[in-house]
Amino acid sequence: MKFILSFLMVIIFGGIVTLTIGTRIEHQTIFSLAQAKVRHDLAAAWMVYHEKLNDIRDIILVNSTRESILNALKHEDRDVLFKYLDRVRREFGLDILTLTDLRGHVLLRTHNPMHTGDDQSNDPLIRNALRGETVKATQIISRAELSKEGEDLLNRAYLRIVPTPKAKPRIEDYEENGMMLRAAAPIIDEQGIIRGVLYGGILLNRNYEIVDRVKEIVYKGEKYKGREIGTVTIFQNDLRISTNVRNKEGERAIGTRVSKEVNQAVLVEGRSWIDRAFVVNDWYITAYEPIKDMQDEVIGILYVGMLEKPYIDLRNRVMLTFAGMAAISVVILLVILFFITSTIIHPLQGMVLATKKIARGDLNHKVELNIKDEIGQLAQSFNQMTTNLKEANEKLLNWGKTLEKRVEERTEELRGMQDFLVQSEKLASLGKMAAGIAHEVNNPLTSILINTHLMLEKLKENDEFYENLSMIADETSRCTHIVKGLLEFSRQEPPQKSFADLNEVLIRTVNLLENQVSYQNIKIVKKLDPNLPLIEFDTNKIKQVFWNLMLNASEAMPGGGTLTIASQFSQNKRYIEILFTDTGIGIPKENTGKLFDPFFTTKPSGTGFGLAVTYGIIEQHNGKIEVDSVPGEGSTFKVSMPVGKK
Amino acid sequence: MEKAKKRILVVDDEINVCKSIRQAILADDYEVDTALSGEEALTKDKANPYDLVISDLMMPGISGMDLLKSLKEERPDVYIILVTGYPTIKTAVQSVKIGAFDYIPKPFTPNELRSLVQRAFKAQESEAREIPAAPVMPAGLFSMGGHTWLRREENNVATIGVMHKFIQSLEYVSQIELPQENKNIFQGEACVRITDKDSHVHRVWSPATGKVIQVNRTLEQDLSLLRQDPYVKGWLFRIESPNLNLDLKGLTPSE
Repeated sequence: MKFILSFLMVIIFGGIVTLTIGTRIEHQTIFSLAQAKVRHDLAAAWMVYHEKLNDIRDIILVNSTRESILNALKHEDRDVLFKYLDRVRREFGLDILTLTDLRGHVLLRTHNPMHTGDDQSNDPLIRNALRGETVKATQIISRAELSKEGEDLLNRAYLRIVPTPKAKPRIEDYEENGMMLRAAAPIIDEQGIIRGVLYGGILLNRNYEIVDRVKEIVYKGEKYKGREIGTVTIFQNDLRISTNVRNKEGERAIGTRVSKEVNQAVLVEGRSWIDRAFVVNDWYITAYEPIKDMQDEVIGILYVGMLEKPYIDLRNRVMLTFAGMAAISVVILLVILFFITSTIIHPLQGMVLATKKIARGDLNHKVELNIKDEIGQLAQSFNQMTTNLKEANEKLLNWGKTLEKRVEERTEELRGMQDFLVQSEKLASLGKMAAGIAHEVNNPLTSILINTHLMLEKLKENDEFYENLSMIADETSRCTHIVKGLLEFSRQEPPQKSFADLNEVLIRTVNLLENQVSYQNIKIVKKLDPNLPLIEFDTNKIKQVFWNLMLNASEAMPGGGTLTIASQFSQNKRYIEILFTDTGIGIPKENTGKLFDPFFTTKPSGTGFGLAVTYGIIEQHNGKIEVDSVPGEGSTFKVSMPVGKK
Repeated sequence: MEKAKKRILVVDDEINVCKSIRQAILADDYEVDTALSGEEALTKDKANPYDLVISDLMMPGISGMDLLKSLKEERPDVYIILVTGYPTIKTAVQSVKIGAFDYIPKPFTPNELRSLVQRAFKAQESEAREIPAAPVMPAGLFSMGGHTWLRREENNVATIGVMHKFIQSLEYVSQIELPQENKNIFQGEACVRITDKDSHVHRVWSPATGKVIQVNRTLEQDLSLLRQDPYVKGWLFRIESPNLNLDLKGLTPSE
C-alpha cells in the first residue's frame, strides 16, 4: 500500500512541479515575446515618426533650392512667393511654411499671412539654418509663437488636462504650448550667400496622422474582442497630444497624462520604459521612449502599446493546454500505476502474504501466477521454494519421529544389553582374574608338587607319612587341574561367525556322540524342523555347546534312556530353539539357578566349567539358554539362537 | 672311562623354584648349578659352558627368550629347555622354533622333568653319534618342536603325527593315550600322552589349535607303527583347525 501511495505522491508532486515551472516559463516566454514585439513596434513607430520629419525636411530642402524661390526672394516678390509656397504647403499638408530673410525676420507666413516681420533667429532651428545648415527637429512651440503662426493652430494646441490617476500632480489644468515637427533650410544664391531661410512643419497636437499610420502599419487596425490591439501616442511632456488610445467614451484620450512612474523614468531620466501598464482602460504591454529636441532635451514621449489581453489570453491558453497535458499525463501515469499495481505489486503482495503464512507454519500456501514474465518466474520460484520447504519440513518431522522411535528402540536394546554386559563383564573380568590367578598359583604349586614328590620318592609305602604325603600330592595335582580348568574357561576366544545350518551341526554332533561309549544305551530321537533358515554362528563353539549338553544328558541317564533333540522356530519367529530333553535324574530346584555358574558341578570329577563355558558361548551369540527340570523324570535344556536382522 | 658328568644350569628368579628343580633332577651323573637371573646365567655359561640349560620363561630383566637367543648366538648347538606358565604357551612354541629343545609347562612332577632331561641328553647323543637316519620326514610337512608334525589337507583339516626324533628319544613306547574326538586342543599343549618303558608319561605338544575330528584307532592296536612309519601310517589324529594359517606361522616347514 505504501508503495502505491508513494508512487502516487511522486506523480502528483511531479505534476505540480511541472505545472508550476512550466507556467512560469511560459509566462516569461510569452511576456518576453510580447515585450520584444513592443520594442519592435516602437522602433517601427520611430521609423514612421522620423519618416515624417524627413519628409518635412525634404520638402523644405527641395523648395529652398528652387530657382523660382530664390529669384522671388531676390526681387522680394511676395505674391509669387506666397502663391507658390502656399501651394506647396497645402499640397504637402504642412501646417506652416514660412520664409525669413537673411536676418531671420519673417518675410512670409503662408499659414498666417497677416503676421510678418518677427524675428525668428532666436529659434535654434532657424538659427542653424541661417548658418547654412539644413535642420530638422521636434520642438515645443510656445503659445505666443503658435499664435503668430495661426489662430487655428493655437486652438488645436490648447487642451484641457484630464485628471489622470497615477500621474504627476500639476498645478495648471490646461496646456497652451504645442509640439511641432519642423525643418529649416537656408536659401543660398549663386554666390553662396544666404538670402533667407525657409522653414515649415506640422503641429503634432491633435494630428493623428503619425499615430494612426503607426497603428496601421504595425497593428493593421486589428481589434481584439472589441478593443484596440495596439495604441500609439505622442506625448508633449507628459500630456497626450496625439493618440489613438480611446477613453471610456471611445474618444481619443487627448489631454490625459502619463503615469508618474513613466514620467520619472522617461521624461526625467531619459530612459526607455517597457512594461505592462494600465492605459486609460486596459492593461497594455507598453513601450515609452523620450522625444528629444535639438538640444537633446527630453520634450516628449513616443509611446506604443500592445493590448495585454491577447497575450494574457494566449498565455492562459498555453498554460491551460499545458496543464491539460500535464493532467492527461498524470492520468496516464495513474493508469500505468494501476497496471503496475496489478501485475507487479499484487503478486508481490501475494508473496509477502505467503511468506507470512509460511512463517506461521502453513506450508501448503501457493502464490497464484498467471504472468509469463519475471514476476511469474519469481512466483514460480517462490512456489518451488515453498514446496521444498514443505518437503524438508516433512523430512525433518519424519526424521524426528524416526529418531524418537529409534531412541526408544535403542534404549530398550541398551537396557537389555546392560544386563548382558554386566554378565559378560563379570565373565570377562573373571576370565582375566582367572588367568592371573592361574599364573600366580602355578609357581607355588610347582614347588609344592615337586618337593612332595621328591619326599615321596624317598619314602617307602609303609612309612607313617607316606599316606599323608600322597594325599598332599593328589590334592596338589587336583589343584593343577582346577587351575587348568580355570584357564580354559578364561580363554574365551572371540567367535568366528559364519552363516551355517544349525540342523547340520546338530546332526554331525549327534553322529559323533552315537559312537561314544557313554551313548551306547541311549536312544536318540530327532525332531528337526527342515524349514529353518541359515543363521550366523561360530560352528566350532556351537558344536562345543551341543556336545556339552548332550554329554550332560548322557551323564544324567547312566542306566540308559531317551534323548530327544528338537529344532524349531520360536513363537515370535525371532529365534531358533534347540531343545535337548533327557529322561534322566533331573535337577533339583535349588540348583537350577546355579547351574551355569563357574565352579558349579554335581560330578565328583567335574571342574564345573562345562555349562559356564556353554553359557558364555550362547551369550556371545546373543542367544538364550534355559533349563526346565522335573527331578526323577528328566530335564530339558533349551538353546535359543537369534535369527538375525537379515 | 668314566663318563663325564653332565653339567646342567637351572635358571629361575625364585630361589625356591631353583632349589626344587635342582633337587628333582639331581642324579649321580648330573652336576646341577643354579642362576637367579638371565645375566647370571650368561656369565656362568660363558665361563664354563653347560650341556643343558633349564630356564624359566617369565623373568624380570633378561627373559628366558632373550637368554635363549643370546646363548644360541654364542653356541648354536646349546640345549635349552624352557619352563612356562600356561599363558605363555605361545611364546614357548615360538622358542622351540628359534631353537629351544623343548618346553615344559608348570606345574610338573619331578618325573616329568626327569623324562624330558633324559630325552634331551638322548637326543644330544644321537646327534653326536649320527645314527643312520630312519624314517625321514617327507617334504611339505610342518613340525612343532621336536614333537609333532602336521600335514595340511583340504580347507582347515590337518593330520597330526609324532616326530621320529621324539620316538627315538624314547627307548620304548608302552602305551599311547590319544585325544577324544571332538575335544578341543590347543597349539603347544598336550594332545597325546606316551608312556615309555620306565612308565614315564611324556606329553606330546599339539602343533595346531582346533577340534579333533578323527583318531587313529589302528595305532591304538599296533603301537609299532609309531616307530616304523610315524609319518604315514603312524598318524595320531586329524584336526579341524579354523586358524590353521596362523598356527602354521609357529611351525617349521620341512625341506
